[in-house]
Amino acid sequence: MLELKSIRKTFHDPAGGDWVLAGDLSLTVQAGETVAILGPSGSGKSTLLKIVAGLEPLDAGSVWFAEKDITPEPPERRGFALMFQDFALFPHLDVVDNVAFGLVEQRIKRGEARQRALDMLDLFGLTAHARQKVWKLSGGEQQRVALARALITQPRLLLLDEPFSALDAELRSGLRDEFSYRIKAAGIPALLVTHDEAEALAMAQRGYRLVSGKLITLW
Amino acid sequence: MNVAGSNPFARGVAVVLLPAVFLTVMLLAPVIRLLAEGGVGALQGTVVSLWQDDYLRWRVVWSFVQAALTCMAALALGLPVAWVLARLDFPGRTLVLRLLMLPFVVPTLVAALGVLALWGPRGLITGWLGFQLQDTPWLLLYGNLFFNLCVVVRAGVDALGQVSASRVAVARTLGATPWRAFWRVEWPAIAPWLASALCLVFLYCFAGFGLALILGGQRFATVEVEIYSLVAHELKLAEAGALAVCMMVLTGGVALAYAWIEKRLATPARADAIALRPAAGVFLWTLIALALTVLLVFCAAPLLAVLLRVVLAGSEAWAVLIDEETVHALWNTLRFSASALVMATALGLTHALAARRSVWLRASAFLPFVVSPVTVAFGLLLLYPQWTASMALLIAAYALLAYPFVAKSLGAALDSLPVHLDQVARTLGATPWRAFWRVTLLMVMPALRRGMAFAAATALGEFAVSLFLSRPEWVTLTTLIYQRLGRPGAANLDAALVLACLLMVLALAAFLVIESPLPKAGRRSATHLRHA
Repeated sequence: MLELKSIRKTFHDPAGGDWVLAGDLSLTVQAGETVAILGPSGSGKSTLLKIVAGLEPLDAGSVWFAEKDITPEPPERRGFALMFQDFALFPHLDVVDNVAFGLVEQRIKRGEARQRALDMLDLFGLTAHARQKVWKLSGGEQQRVALARALITQPRLLLLDEPFSALDAELRSGLRDEFSYRIKAAGIPALLVTHDEAEALAMAQRGYRLVSGKLITLW
Repeated sequence: MNVAGSNPFARGVAVVLLPAVFLTVMLLAPVIRLLAEGGVGALQGTVVSLWQDDYLRWRVVWSFVQAALTCMAALALGLPVAWVLARLDFPGRTLVLRLLMLPFVVPTLVAALGVLALWGPRGLITGWLGFQLQDTPWLLLYGNLFFNLCVVVRAGVDALGQVSASRVAVARTLGATPWRAFWRVEWPAIAPWLASALCLVFLYCFAGFGLALILGGQRFATVEVEIYSLVAHELKLAEAGALAVCMMVLTGGVALAYAWIEKRLATPARADAIALRPAAGVFLWTLIALALTVLLVFCAAPLLAVLLRVVLAGSEAWAVLIDEETVHALWNTLRFSASALVMATALGLTHALAARRSVWLRASAFLPFVVSPVTVAFGLLLLYPQWTASMALLIAAYALLAYPFVAKSLGAALDSLPVHLDQVARTLGATPWRAFWRVTLLMVMPALRRGMAFAAATALGEFAVSLFLSRPEWVTLTTLIYQRLGRPGAANLDAALVLACLLMVLALAAFLVIESPLPKAGRRSATHLRHA
């Protein structure tokens, strides 16, 4: 499904020297599989995710999906969905319009997009919040809205950037199980980056640690 | 220990009293006096008759139209320039951002002369192209853009810096092109900031006096110029009062909109700002070149034109610098500004401290921005006719226009100061006064200096109040420039340009003080600090 082939990414440090984020890095994610990348803050995990999303250019190497080189494709044409730890919900839109955002970008009529978003919110048990502004929701509710927004477009790949790190421990554990269930039910492959090993073990079938631009297999 | 030092209530009263009394005496009472001119009932009749007068109706409509046109042009030109400065990294970007502060401290008359030096009857561009813009609306609109384009650009740069990178990234992965992501995610985030800046632009242009007086000519002068003419030349106080009240109602409405938007903007800055893109490729460099060209044409050209005209004028024109009249005006400018600065600092400091206790006092710091200098001066003339030629009233009027800059700058700094610092100092044995002197004041010193620099620039370039309240022997550089412009002959225009250059040098000295490194939090508030 997803294949990263010999990826290289170096940041130039103005203070002197270069910082290797990815050095000849390769990785595959199979259909329906969740793969976790672990590593401390600043190790380059999030940059790797942005490279896959097409938000960060590569120095060398290529990104393939479904046996097609998608390296030159812009983010909007890759059909992936990205989730951040701060949820990145759009504050000027209410809950239903946040969820419908991607459908509108797919040129689906606004009325139909909103109806499909309402159906999705119903699945997530968020119907009562549909007309609320996103900042009025709790942290857990915001994260579920972010997942609903990502899944409604039926992405080919889900990219999860520390999705639960902004939540408290109790909520994190509950949401982790819910997210795992929903992602598996949707049959969407996922790439998860996190510094929390328990989270990675609970959600991913395979795990790697990113150290000095190289991936070390953990399980 | 004195009472104020030991009793929090007495301390509070002592701090609130000075700005409250000053604002009441210098602003509220004159405005009420203005409202009472001829009685409110008669005022209503006067307003109706004003509206039936084609000439005065044109003045009001044109004042509105020129302010609205300036807002539209500043947005259309300023937003793309702001985008380039906020998103692209190129050599000299930081310098350009700093130079954007320049129009904030350039006196109105210098700007007006810069516009004339380019587009006036003997202007540089007039000479090259063979046509001039005198007696057209473009002269005033260009002058308005000189001041206000930078307001919009700075607001745009700050706003774009607040846009969440992760939200844009999510929009892109959800299928939005860069253009769609801008309109659907970035624009809603920056629109309130731009609306706030445009409210200020509208206020500056609608209530502006100096530019409209010099550049508007007979046909395109604004209501503020008309009020001045009615009072100073025709002695029609009732008509002037009615016009001033109309202006206050309209500017008050815009100021309320501004305050409402500002309240919505009071959210913490986001940490995940979009990273700067290194400029690479013909397309990005073309964008940068276009942005710099816009800034050069609208913001730098008038100042460069003044300098060039002064150089070309030759030593005969420069002799005005050692003229007795000039030395006298320079001395007056410096002593009035210095006195006003001392007063403005004391008032600004107490107002900022008092504003922490009272929402009303916080809002009242805007009042001198809402009521135009012409209206203030006119109200003072009506209320205190016996003091109109007194130095104390003149200095107090200068201070009234200058001190909000100190109050606003300090207020923002005090708001961002951790409360624990003062508490720690108190537990370590400092009295409230000692804690303020040894901790708070030192922490807010950069903001105080910045506010004082803006206040100094405002006092140096003050023009409207000087025209109304000054004695002939208290001529300042601004009034001397205006006198020279009123005298016939090219030599007088050259002399006015040399004097404008001198005034610009004085203002630049204030600018250099502002240019000391600013904390990030202070940059946004600087957008809102400008003399009218």
